[in-house]
Amino acid sequence: MLLAFLFALLSEGDRELAARLQRRDPQAMADLYDRYGRLAYSLIFRIVKDAAVAEDLVQESFLRVWNRVQGFDPERGALGPWVLAVARNRAIDYLRSVDGRMAQSAVELEANEHPSMFTDLEREVLNRDRARHLQHAFERLNPHQRLVIELAYYEGLSQREMAERIKQPLGTVKTWVRSALQVLREELRAAAV
Amino acid sequence: MICDELREAYELHALGLLEDPERAEIEAHLRRGCETCTAGVRRAAALNTQMLALAPDVRPSPKLRRKVLASVGARESRWAWMTGWPAAFAAMLIAVVYLGVQDRRKAGELAEARRFVEASATELTQMRAALALLNEPETRHVVFGQGQPQPPKGRVFVHGRRGVLLLASNLPPLPRGKTYELWTIPKGGAPRPAGLFQSDARGNALYLSPGPVDVTTLSAIAVSVEPEAGSSAPTTTPLIVAALTD
Repeated sequence: MLLAFLFALLSEGDRELAARLQRRDPQAMADLYDRYGRLAYSLIFRIVKDAAVAEDLVQESFLRVWNRVQGFDPERGALGPWVLAVARNRAIDYLRSVDGRMAQSAVELEANEHPSMFTDLEREVLNRDRARHLQHAFERLNPHQRLVIELAYYEGLSQREMAERIKQPLGTVKTWVRSALQVLREELRAAAV
Repeated sequence: MICDELREAYELHALGLLEDPERAEIEAHLRRGCETCTAGVRRAAALNTQMLALAPDVRPSPKLRRKVLASVGARESRWAWMTGWPAAFAAMLIAVVYLGVQDRRKAGELAEARRFVEASATELTQMRAALALLNEPETRHVVFGQGQPQPPKGRVFVHGRRGVLLLASNLPPLPRGKTYELWTIPKGGAPRPAGLFQSDARGNALYLSPGPVDVTTLSAIAVSVEPEAGSSAPTTTPLIVAALTD
């Protein structure tokens, strides 16, 4: 019996964890935090650069996941990517609120964090080897490409907003974004082989 | 627009950063069930996740775990510092021994008491957050439902950093599989989801949607009845609309 319990414990993946969250098991929240809390905090801190604000936003992110987990599909969903997307959006919303961008921003983040956006992702999306490959690819981008990628992922700027921020033509910004993403995509594809 | 043209936009779409007309085009294309682009957007979501995970590793304060757990009524284990399989194995041994020496009735009572304490802790956390919002001098509030022949009635409080607090009464009973969803409505913009909640048996509800809200552009707070999992846009006519006047 002990071995069976132990096996069940060791083999619990996101699917089981999501199911426990849906059953409103408070211990599941502890497990979710232990699995993704540090990653979410690191991401939010990278974006807002303030420890106290980052902690508030992590708390808010996990509460949001808890409140919306009924819409998550444990069989097909990827919990980690969803948590990270929710965390990023809270941090970007915070940035927008403090620099007054909330009013002008033409892009809406809510839709891209719906749990259905994170179904049928490949397994091991948070694989360390792949992250290392991607890090190397990111470091190989030229400064313009790196800048626009950072503005997209860590500041939540659309291409038009990037063009205004860095005072470059929209077409130029689109070219940098397109070529940068192409490099990253190819690197990821090569790492998956 | 053909798939080859859309493929360049998958990542920005998955990040929520596409603007019209590209956004409308890719969404219409995906709604038509294009398998190529659906798979492409999934790959893009994976790439985005991996990019976000590249953020330099920073260790949060141990207090953060307690705060996160308290927000949903969970308690922190005294042994949380023990991580990895030795801790799991030790915990399992303790659990087996514990279960072996307790009779079922006591275990049941204990579980019930724990649920009660956890539920109380959740309520206490929410009440504290609500009181903190009410105590802020910058908090704005608006009354809704006064003088209306139909329920519900109540008040909405808004604070730029702490969020939106709704106090409502006379809420009608919800149909099975439905929930109430709170919306923040910016001036000239579409409603944004601000959380799901239920009323009590008497139709009363206190709900706090925590987090920053741009009060300078907020025009109204609304509540509608939605499917249990929530919606990204209202699917029924809101039964509460509290307009914020300047």
